[in-house]
Amino acid sequence: MSEQRKEILEMLAEGKITADEADRLIAALESDRPVPAVPAPAPRPNGKPRYLRVVVDANDHDGPSRVNIRVPLQLLRAGVRLAALIPPEALGKANAELAKSGVPFDLTQLKPEQLEELVEHLDEMTVEVDQADAKVRIFSE
Amino acid sequence: MIPQLVTVRVKPRTGRRVRVWVPVLPVLLILSPVLVLAVAVATVACLVYRIRVFPALGSGWRIVSALPGTRFDLEYAHTAVLVSIR
Repeated sequence: MSEQRKEILEMLAEGKITADEADRLIAALESDRPVPAVPAPAPRPNGKPRYLRVVVDANDHDGPSRVNIRVPLQLLRAGVRLAALIPPEALGKANAELAKSGVPFDLTQLKPEQLEELVEHLDEMTVEVDQADAKVRIFSE
Repeated sequence: MIPQLVTVRVKPRTGRRVRVWVPVLPVLLILSPVLVLAVAVATVACLVYRIRVFPALGSGWRIVSALPGTRFDLEYAHTAVLVSIR
């Protein structure tokens, strides 16, 4: 197996390119055509992210402050499973309190599968807030 | 796998830095009678609030197992606190 072909298969195995893209690249290699461009994936050492990071840098009158929190995504998943065990009566009371506070949100409509899906897709999320005296970054790594 | 080591580091504005390493397993062994009591209390609480006991205990165990890798690093006004779970 040629080195280039091996690289393509490795990229496919790591999920950096799709099967179609791998097919195109291999076909281009075989026919000795110039290789079509493949969108460069974001560099990530171990494939799927494992941690959610929250980094806050702020400057106030007491001097600079910094918060750096790293939470395993597995912990979020476990928390979601625990939240799924909350009895419906408690959710009803929480809904009533939310409505009283002006947040008409029905927690009973939130299914554990939806929450798990949300956690699954956190790897694609990056939140950056830039202010004059503070900078907040939330991302997964 | 449950956490093996918890590191707590405190750097106050003045005074000495404090660094504490807590080996989790020996501490759990020492506290095992209290743990048994805590599980019994949790079981009763689940029954009182009509929460399924075994899934709740399983979820609690999953949370403990997922803790390794957690890290809190706070710096404010020349005071720094780090809590790291490995």
